[in-house]
Amino acid sequence: MLAHSNMTIPRDLWMIYLRIPTRSFVLVGVRCLLLSAVSSLSAEEQVDYLKQIKPLLTERCVACHGVLKQEAGLRLDTAALAIQGGESGAVIKPGEATASLLLKRVTTTEESERMPPEGEPLKPEQIAALRNWINQQAQAPAHEQPERHPRDHWSFKTPVRPAVPDLPSQTDSFKPQIANPIDVFITSAQRSRGIVPQAEADRRIWLRRVSLDLIGLPPTPAELEAFLADDSSEADDNVVTRLLESPQYGQRWGRHWMDIWRYSDWWGLGSEVRNSQKHIWHWRDWIVESINSDKGYDQMLREMLAADELYPNDLDRMRATGYLARQYFIFNRTSWLDETIEHTAKAMLGLTFNCAKCHDHKYDPFSQVEYYKIRAIFEPYQIRTEMISGQLDLEKDGIPHAFDAHLDLPTHLHVRGDESNPDKSRIMEPAVPAFLSSDALKLTIEPVLLPPEATSPGLRDFVIKMHRQAAEQQIAAARSAVEAAQKTLLESAAQELAAKDTALKAAAQGDAKSADNKPTSLPNELFVRDDFLVPNPELWEPQTGHWSYANGHLIQSQIGANRDAVRLKQLPPHDFEARLKYIPTGGEMWKSVGISCDVTAAGNELLAYVSSVAGASKSQIAFKQDSHYVYPPTAQQSRNVELNQPHEIVLRIRGTLLNMSVDGEHSIAYQLPAGLERQHGYLELIAFDAQVELLAFELRALPAELQLVEAAHSQTPPVATVTLTRVDELQLAVTIAQKVQTTAEAQLACIEARVAADRARHLGSESSRTTDLALAAGRSERVLAAAGADEELRRAELAVAQATADKKADADKKLDTAKATFETSQKAIDVPNEVYTSLSGAKKTQEDYQNRNAGKPFPATSSGRRSAFAKWLTDPRQPLTARVAVNHIWIRHMGKALVPTVFDFGRKGAPPTHPELLDWLAAELVEHNWSMKHIHRLIVTSHVYRLSSSSAGATDATLAADPENRFYWRMNPVRMESQIVRDSLLHLAGELDLSLGGPSMATNDESARRRSLYFVHSHNDHQPFLAAFDDASVLDCYRRAESIVPQQALAMENSSLATALADKIAQHMAEARPNAADSDFIRKAFLSILSVEPTANELATMSEMLNRMTDLARAKKRPNPEGFARTNLVHTLLNHNDFITIR
Amino acid sequence: MMPQRNSTMTQTRHSDPFRSVPRRTFLADVGLGFTGLALGAMLAKDTIGRATEPAVWQPPNGEPKFTPKAKSVVWLFMNGGVSHVESFDPKPEITKHAGKSISETPYADTQKPERLKRREVAFNVELRQKLYPLQIGFRKYGESGIELSDWVPHIGSCIDDLAVVRSMWTTDDNHGAQTQFHSGRHMLDGEFPTLGAWVHYGLGSINDNLPQFISMGQREYWNAKDGHYLGPAHDAVPIRVDPNNPLDYGTPANGLGVDEQQLGFELAGRLNRLKAIEYPNDPALIARIKAYELAFRMQTSIPEALGFNTETQATQELYGLDEPATCDFGSQMLATRRLIERGVRFIQVQHGAGGAGKWDAHGDLKTNHEKNFKKVDKPIAGLLKDLKQRGLLDSTIVIFATEFGRTPASQGTDGRDHHPYGFSVWMAGGGLKRGIVHGATDEIGFHAVEHRHYVTDIHATILKQLGLDSRTLEVPGRKRLDIDHGQPIDEIIA
Repeated sequence: MLAHSNMTIPRDLWMIYLRIPTRSFVLVGVRCLLLSAVSSLSAEEQVDYLKQIKPLLTERCVACHGVLKQEAGLRLDTAALAIQGGESGAVIKPGEATASLLLKRVTTTEESERMPPEGEPLKPEQIAALRNWINQQAQAPAHEQPERHPRDHWSFKTPVRPAVPDLPSQTDSFKPQIANPIDVFITSAQRSRGIVPQAEADRRIWLRRVSLDLIGLPPTPAELEAFLADDSSEADDNVVTRLLESPQYGQRWGRHWMDIWRYSDWWGLGSEVRNSQKHIWHWRDWIVESINSDKGYDQMLREMLAADELYPNDLDRMRATGYLARQYFIFNRTSWLDETIEHTAKAMLGLTFNCAKCHDHKYDPFSQVEYYKIRAIFEPYQIRTEMISGQLDLEKDGIPHAFDAHLDLPTHLHVRGDESNPDKSRIMEPAVPAFLSSDALKLTIEPVLLPPEATSPGLRDFVIKMHRQAAEQQIAAARSAVEAAQKTLLESAAQELAAKDTALKAAAQGDAKSADNKPTSLPNELFVRDDFLVPNPELWEPQTGHWSYANGHLIQSQIGANRDAVRLKQLPPHDFEARLKYIPTGGEMWKSVGISCDVTAAGNELLAYVSSVAGASKSQIAFKQDSHYVYPPTAQQSRNVELNQPHEIVLRIRGTLLNMSVDGEHSIAYQLPAGLERQHGYLELIAFDAQVELLAFELRALPAELQLVEAAHSQTPPVATVTLTRVDELQLAVTIAQKVQTTAEAQLACIEARVAADRARHLGSESSRTTDLALAAGRSERVLAAAGADEELRRAELAVAQATADKKADADKKLDTAKATFETSQKAIDVPNEVYTSLSGAKKTQEDYQNRNAGKPFPATSSGRRSAFAKWLTDPRQPLTARVAVNHIWIRHMGKALVPTVFDFGRKGAPPTHPELLDWLAAELVEHNWSMKHIHRLIVTSHVYRLSSSSAGATDATLAADPENRFYWRMNPVRMESQIVRDSLLHLAGELDLSLGGPSMATNDESARRRSLYFVHSHNDHQPFLAAFDDASVLDCYRRAESIVPQQALAMENSSLATALADKIAQHMAEARPNAADSDFIRKAFLSILSVEPTANELATMSEMLNRMTDLARAKKRPNPEGFARTNLVHTLLNHNDFITIR
Repeated sequence: MMPQRNSTMTQTRHSDPFRSVPRRTFLADVGLGFTGLALGAMLAKDTIGRATEPAVWQPPNGEPKFTPKAKSVVWLFMNGGVSHVESFDPKPEITKHAGKSISETPYADTQKPERLKRREVAFNVELRQKLYPLQIGFRKYGESGIELSDWVPHIGSCIDDLAVVRSMWTTDDNHGAQTQFHSGRHMLDGEFPTLGAWVHYGLGSINDNLPQFISMGQREYWNAKDGHYLGPAHDAVPIRVDPNNPLDYGTPANGLGVDEQQLGFELAGRLNRLKAIEYPNDPALIARIKAYELAFRMQTSIPEALGFNTETQATQELYGLDEPATCDFGSQMLATRRLIERGVRFIQVQHGAGGAGKWDAHGDLKTNHEKNFKKVDKPIAGLLKDLKQRGLLDSTIVIFATEFGRTPASQGTDGRDHHPYGFSVWMAGGGLKRGIVHGATDEIGFHAVEHRHYVTDIHATILKQLGLDSRTLEVPGRKRLDIDHGQPIDEIIA
């Protein structure tokens, strides 16, 4: 059972249909119309052909018997044609219903004979109406017009720049205000209907409107003031220029296009990706950057669909094909391609190709065969992740992008859309629909020969460099490990000797005291000490999580994978020792508890914590750099952590050297990497996905005399964590460390050999030695394998040495296996073989659960299908692309669309309200290099964009002619999108972090201060505050829903976000004007939050309520009752309808 | 338009409901002022109800289409897949042939390939062949003598009020079947509104102080929302059974007292009303005023509904609040009754959320089901008895459902796998027959063989009892398949 893809419309769009008057609604609403019109029909009643019969035939018959198709030579789009009949002769005999073939075919009980063949049979009342109509001589209007040919449909013809109409000259009753041709088209349509537009809105409202529309942030009071003070004629233009040049413009409009192009972060199970791709945020950043640089809309589409073919070595542009990578769906390739086709057609062409998946399109001249020809364009593509500079681990970063993986994969039509029933008798060649193709505008496919780096990304210089560096680092680490192991061995041997000596002396002297002679911490100045017996708000400030004091402990009780933190209000000394005693009591998975320091507003921090994640519990030092968390493998140690037991973490830090001990034992010594500076920041006690009871905390300056353990000691790879007690085992550990070093060195040699071989093969360097170099590369891999096997063998020997009696047999068995592997690998080294593995620079995403074609190399050519399609799509003669784009832009400024069915410009879509304006805007877009900024400027500087959204005082004629404001006699107020609600709150509070780009923020990060488009947004992950305000559905979102529900009121009233930001706003106001009188404060608050002056009534109301708020605060003995009441007032204004509304 | 319901949920993209309202009336109504009490006659109710244009499609008007037999629904869903053969459809033949491969038993024909054709398989699922004995005994309960397992003694004591449907089937082999049971569609089809959302969309409000569609417990698999293309206004409002923290954003994060907050709500209401003079006929503004009024009331009405201190000891014990094993689910069931009593239309309670669902007994089925039934059996029976003694069961449909059954054969040594070919649900109250069994699986519980029902037949049955027909609830551009609508199970309707 596949999704019935017929005419699916996103959740809110059906509402738009309601705004179309009945006349044009016939096409879309016939079913309902029929139900109400036909139901109570008796045999005698006169049947109205236009009301009862024609809609029925249109709905159920004309798709196959009309202008698109004439099954059996029959057309039913006019009564005359119906009477005329088809191959079987007349199907209607006027006056003789029972003798009419039409009636027989709709009433037959024979399933195979019955018409219509699809869907439910006609209802009895519909059949009765047909019968009566025929019996009443099948009457119809004399000049009934047949359906027009679909090629004549308005949107299928290339737009021609329309002449700007002449307006009658100004008269007393008609004073058109014309800022640019948009106003002429708008005014002209109003004039012909007797519609009189409203007055302009207050300039303040225009400023707030244009600011929110262009950058998604309200004006600051300073911006408002400056604007009002500027009475020059360029004041408005200057604002528009400032906004369009602001990087926030790209963030605002990037989010709009992310809606339309279905941006989604990846989701899956654990680390397995099921939909979209990891690091897909690179595509988001590309969108924002492209919009900020005003890259042409056509160029954006070309890059999204085919950057891999058009710019195969340009990784920046490659990010654009995140559009295709986002469609990835592991469960089902057909669903994946269906969605690609559906949403490419809807978003970029305004067509519902998806309707033709199972059968020919019912309304547009688009056949099922053509659906699969479109599929053939996308058939070869798959996804891979390309390495980027600075990160070898593709799990951590990389650019997911499209590439053609299967050039010869045939496309077959799926019979009735059933993928299990492909028609293999013919292959669907890639093509665009015939009705949008001509000699001048056609798909020209030429295969693209790709540069060597696209086929073998390991050839890229930066990739080679990264591999080399990683190998060199491993060698360095291995060397230190060898030294450390040797040192431990020597010390241990010495200790063993000394211990024997001591034991002998003790035995001789009978003195037992010498045993307890451990050095204790040196006394030094205590900076902070807290036993958490009572709340100490002077000392601590909870950041996130649910912290409470009980039973003499500070308890974190929030459940789930959240970061919870309390912050020490005082900044710690630069070098310090911190001790945390705690009891972990629960958590779902990680159960991490620890200390974080150097926490800065910019997001840096150093962490030392203990995780008791099942099976992998450990202590860890980590740090955050450039918004990435780094967990150095050399800064962790496996250890057992029991829940519900007290533990102690001690963190000592001097300069960039960190020591961590756990439960009284030294655990980790870690040196921050070169280049990572210490930051002056806060100290926090943290819990991640952990419930915990904090018992005690101490902080002191690190005594100068206290020696820290140097980092090299803890950089020993795994072997260092093994508890070694006997000298012979330590000797083995040294051997293992040496083998690790050998392996690391072999790894570097292997990289060099493979690079040389790859270069010879692909770049023609030393082409005479291609074979030799390949042989050498192959050998280097086998040497590496042998070194690894040697290392494993030594480990197995150690395991045997350490095995307890019951594990002995098992360890012996493993040792035998290791020996065998080692011997085989040794013998293999000198068997010549040219096969080697190219250096990896990209990884293909698995195609499906079976992971088919996993090892297939990247092809040297690309099919050229997508770039051909992209060129066709963005050809200026393409009738739909520019129209669809300007409609999307228009609706996001004007609150209404020129074509209400924004993704369906086909024959079932709604006709444009202003066809000339639409075409004029489309021509403007194309002729200005597809500059979206140009279109924005035209719209927001038009007069119509300045109108008030109020209908007060509108003439009766206007209200009667256009109650729904389809002709823009006033502005349409729009509710802010979810992201804008949050961003505006933060902005007003001066808290918004305007930085651009980077990985997505966790949805549960309450401390996040960046713009909301940077939250993780996927099918499975929703940021709760945004979700309350109709966040975009990642499945399709051509328009946002604008629901108004009580949960939104609760979110604005009660959320910690809204309340904290209200506090901040009030605080800033108090700081700026500490002595402001109530009346000043009220006016200023209103102006700051709503950007307009309060009316006298509003002032009086606020004043009265502020007094009541103050009285109540006094009565309740709130500290600073006046300030408390003012904060309440500010918070209330954030809950004003006109805060969340773009007027 | 959607008048009655829309005390809580208002869409603004509908045609302008105010255009036919004389301005004077409008201002008078807007000027009602903030009362903090019941809403009273609302503007939208009156006017939208009147404004009907027959030719234009309209969303449902919130009225039943025919006389309803039930008013409310309690939707209990066990996540993970309950073994039907060890609960509501005991099959002694399984134990009799335990250890044999099904093909060696007289029921080999259940394994014919054409009978095993699954229509939708999200994963490759192995067929389980070796019959695994029933892990629990069973006996006859009540006057009706219907056989149920010994894991459900308390539900068994209500058997004479239940209609057990033993012939359910679904098509998803994996836990996407949870989605399928809620929406009628396979996971791979996309996202579709759930039954609760349809009911919420189709019917108006019983109590303007409470959300009409409430969920407890999480539905974690695949899609956790309800409204989908009907819009987020039709998502369930999730609550926790904790009077101190029942709702997301249910209490002010800044610690404001109710009296202090009320002043803020009053001010917002007054300022918005002043704006309504400046901007007449703005439906969004009116909707926002109403949304704030309901929000304010919800803050107190929901905690009140969830406070159990007025409940007697006997009532609390009836739900098992005095026992650790039953306390959690019992609290949800008692909360359910209190919400039903106060006029909530649809309450969706998920049991065993987390991972694929706590009932997903691929191994150690015995311990798993024993533990899970222990948690829900008494509380569910408590709900049924309490609703009945308060006369609420007649107007409330309670349904016990799960995504699919479990294989008669074993998985591993002691578990059962997913089984979509035949499984059981039961329903009670709301004008349904009492103490009956409808439909049957074959002797080993493999295929539903008699009166087979797809999951949407349950939807159709519930809608019919509520006075709705899903075919009249369609949305233009969202053509539904026949199977989406289902057929009411008339045999279990009284």
